[in-house]
Amino acid sequence: MPEQDLILDAGPFRIGVRSADRGLLDTLAFFYRDSVCDDGPHVLDYAVRITRPFGVRRYLRPQVRFEIDSLRPFEPHPAENAYPMYEWGLNWCIATSAHHLLMLHAGSVAFGDRALILPGTPGSGKSTLAAALDLHGARLLSDEFGLVRPARGDLLPMPRGIPLKNDSIEAILAFDPAAPLGPTYPKTRKGRVRHLRPSAASVARQHEPAVARWLVFPRYQAGAAESLQALDKADAFRRLAFNSFNYKLLGATAFHAIAAIVRGADCYTFTFSRLERAVERLAELAADAAADPSEPDR
Amino acid sequence: MSLLTDVLGEPAVVRDWGAAEWNALLPLARAARLLGRCLALFEERGLTDALPARLLDQLHGARAQTRYVQGQALREWRQVAATLHAADIDVMPLKGVAYLLAGLPPAGWRNLSDVDLLVRPDAVDAAEAALKQAGWRASGELDSYDEHYYRDWMHEVPPLVHARRDMEVDLHHNLAPPVSRVRIDAALLWRAAVTAPGPDGVPLTLPAPTDLLLHNAIHLFMNDELRGGLRDIVDFRDLFVHFSAADTDFATQLVRRAEQLGCARALYYAASAAQRLIGLSLPGDVVAGIRRHAPAPPVDALMRWLIDRLLAPVRPGTAAAAIAERALFVRSHWIRMPPRLLLRHLAHKWLKRRKPPLPATELPG
Repeated sequence: MPEQDLILDAGPFRIGVRSADRGLLDTLAFFYRDSVCDDGPHVLDYAVRITRPFGVRRYLRPQVRFEIDSLRPFEPHPAENAYPMYEWGLNWCIATSAHHLLMLHAGSVAFGDRALILPGTPGSGKSTLAAALDLHGARLLSDEFGLVRPARGDLLPMPRGIPLKNDSIEAILAFDPAAPLGPTYPKTRKGRVRHLRPSAASVARQHEPAVARWLVFPRYQAGAAESLQALDKADAFRRLAFNSFNYKLLGATAFHAIAAIVRGADCYTFTFSRLERAVERLAELAADAAADPSEPDR
Repeated sequence: MSLLTDVLGEPAVVRDWGAAEWNALLPLARAARLLGRCLALFEERGLTDALPARLLDQLHGARAQTRYVQGQALREWRQVAATLHAADIDVMPLKGVAYLLAGLPPAGWRNLSDVDLLVRPDAVDAAEAALKQAGWRASGELDSYDEHYYRDWMHEVPPLVHARRDMEVDLHHNLAPPVSRVRIDAALLWRAAVTAPGPDGVPLTLPAPTDLLLHNAIHLFMNDELRGGLRDIVDFRDLFVHFSAADTDFATQLVRRAEQLGCARALYYAASAAQRLIGLSLPGDVVAGIRRHAPAPPVDALMRWLIDRLLAPVRPGTAAAAIAERALFVRSHWIRMPPRLLLRHLAHKWLKRRKPPLPATELPG
């Protein structure tokens, strides 16, 4: 099959993908169903190419390679993992170049244009919570990339397939048996992975920024009762700064942007185990705010 | 010539551009680490309105990264300079960090990957010892051959890095390897050095303006890292324009100095590439002065072809650029080492060859 081009929107970024891998193109068409662009012409942020290296391996144990600007920043991956590699490679492109934005290592969703930020290290449950909230009707901003415009302090959505890892896959299926999941990737560097497609409603509003209103540091703990505790703002600042990809690089700009977020948001820690209860508890935050007459009308 | 060199020569060309041109420019400018230079040019010429918003974002992202790296480099310089001053060792900054400290034009946009310094040849051992005493150590693994290569043949000691930071320090005692065809008398560099107030009030010793440009030219055509060479050509042009504006006689002095230091051929290559690729304009008598140092016509034509393919590819990763890179790499070694040394060096490298290393893990800014 000859190479084909696919142009995709991922929030503020426009990506050109060139590949001859039918399976990959089909998977991309599934996950980016609501954000495939027409043939253009379009100005691109990243033009990437997924290729198969030549050589004997091509037949014995096929691999795929990620290219950007004719550079190959990573070792090849097994061919069956082309889609996870593409998403991971795109994250790498963004993380190493989009320093006009403060990049938080955080899941985030929005209720209307008020954002709930879920910062966390891997294993904290932020991706699973973001996925469940998207299925519950909140607007997915991102499962792990909080993109903040420093001058305005708002978040730019970037809804993409959410990688669910290992037991999270079953947890999401139990939460919503009709969840639109893609293929299972049994062996990735993060274990067994299956992605959730963001809702059409989330993608439809992917160019509408949201303002941070709640900052919740989640911690999944098996068997624990759901517990939402107010968090001191100084602690929240420190923890959010720690969970930014480019805090050091942006220096004072990042300091002020994070200070503004923390100042404007209610800050909590959140221990949870049962996904259904956790989502209800977080949705209550938004409902309470909506019922509060002192809240500005959104 | 490429869309990138078009922009660097005459930024207003972008007024007529569409998506195809922008999509060609971005990868070229990223690969050449010239995003910052492009942004500065667009701003100087009031062209930012003509840019697609997402392209402007990418350029601003690159600028934020550059500012961070510049801060890291200046901090490293302060630490190194304080350590060497305490040991009573004279030191001059070179290349990127020199431009930053002296506030020369590239300072507004230039990325750095290391801090380059010059000390006197008889002080290089003491300087290395003082830095190692103060917490710097060899960056990366070196076998006994690598040690021998640097210490006996090169113009720098093996790269250093401080245990608690990650900006590499390259300690030079000359601008070109002592075993190379270009043999520069380091004493001449020190005699012409200029003293200026540094950004923090501490007096700063800098290479003479002519020597800054000549180092750029030597580096470009003797170093084996030619991939980012267009940036060096842009530095050359910007510095040349800057110094010529302050001193109308600068071009003549530059040619005379190149002849005195014995690197006029490198000046010819750099100046003619800057003329050809990004429209550096030189006075006629200067062109004639520089042309005297051109190689024989067939060599000249070949070099021109190689330089243009490598420095101004129509897109990153062309086969012609790869061939040109290989050829210029071989050439840079040919000039750096006499044939017998070169043979030994290549034989050693060939025996030791392993899988090629992964390319840089960061998108260049």
